[in-house]
Amino acid sequence: MKRIPIDKAQPGQILAEKLTRHDGVLLASQGAEITEGLLRMLARMNVDTVVIEEEESRTAEEVVEDFNRFTADLDSRFVRVEGQPILMALKKTMLFLAEKERDETLALISLPSDAETESAAAEAPPDSSSAPADKT
Amino acid sequence: MTSQQPIQDRVQVKRDIRKIKNLPTVPGIVAKISRMVENPETSASEVGRLISQDQVLSAKVLRMANSAFFGMSRKISSISQALVILGFEVVKGLVLTSSVFDMIQKSMAGLWEHSIGCAAASGAVATILGRADAEEILVAGLLHDLGKVVLALNLPDEMRLVVDKVQSGKVLFYEAEHQVLDFDHSELGQWLAEHWNLPDSLAEPMRLHHRPEKAVIKPECAAIVHIADVIVRAKGFGNAGDPLVPPISMAAWEMLGLRKTDFLPILEILEPKLSSLVDITSIN
Repeated sequence: MKRIPIDKAQPGQILAEKLTRHDGVLLASQGAEITEGLLRMLARMNVDTVVIEEEESRTAEEVVEDFNRFTADLDSRFVRVEGQPILMALKKTMLFLAEKERDETLALISLPSDAETESAAAEAPPDSSSAPADKT
Repeated sequence: MTSQQPIQDRVQVKRDIRKIKNLPTVPGIVAKISRMVENPETSASEVGRLISQDQVLSAKVLRMANSAFFGMSRKISSISQALVILGFEVVKGLVLTSSVFDMIQKSMAGLWEHSIGCAAASGAVATILGRADAEEILVAGLLHDLGKVVLALNLPDEMRLVVDKVQSGKVLFYEAEHQVLDFDHSELGQWLAEHWNLPDSLAEPMRLHHRPEKAVIKPECAAIVHIADVIVRAKGFGNAGDPLVPPISMAAWEMLGLRKTDFLPILEILEPKLSSLVDITSIN
């Protein structure tokens, strides 16, 4: 999920978190689809940001490319401290997390889905916050 | 590492730090709050009333108080509530941050993101260490690089030379500062902190986040901000002036009793915070 400013929100996006007014009153629940009407109401209520479900729009190749770019960037950032064991542990941990994210994303992409069709975004998504994917 | 510099690079820019004129003035409201807080008779609601008089400021402070920084389960809806929940020092730090936000943004692209990233990382490290003062340490992380703001705004020519040096090779920003000037942003930060009468808990990490082993007032705080700075640079979040991970202070690491395996939980706390903090950058 991703928090975005209200002016970047689009009808059709899915709320990943419930929306409340500053005083706690519920405006829209988690999983609800953003509509023009909701956006107008949020503007009136001075809500500044919403948290939306992120759709994976990248292809498997792009995910791998992004990962490779990430590791190259990581190498260039660590160039001055290659000999420091503690910082090498930090780098290794960051790589581990990035690999995990890459593999989880790849698993999601390879799942049979109708993500290709335009309507996919409008449907209520499966609970993406729990476990990566039950298909191994 | 530093090779011979061409003579023309060593222009007469080295100068006495005290000769810098027109330091940014301390935001009026911060000076007022400082005076109020010094008086033991002052109550939280009096300070709250003072901050609340400035609606834009209080909105900014509340927005930060309710951001992923603190991960509050309940919404903080008033300044006086923030004072009770987060404490004087933290709210003062947030007021200060809100007041210097424009300055930070104007000084250097990406410095604000580096600052909030370092704040979130400071909070994450403090949390893993089980520290009760995690919020205060977070604010110290938020303001640690104010010296760079002074450099950018007061010494623009020198700043340009420093940036050129950084771009010419694998030079850290503070190393480039030492090559161009006789001091770096940590000393500028300290000077600003004195000028503004900031509490030692904020001033010390400003001065010593690159040399945390020298800290005496709250050494753990300077050490945590130092390590947080390293982590947020490793993440490549924001811009601290150079794209490099600086060496870590072993003394700071050992003093805190951190272990290499602590990086995983620290990064797991930090990651979601960084992505949701991006939006408080549009705080204006």
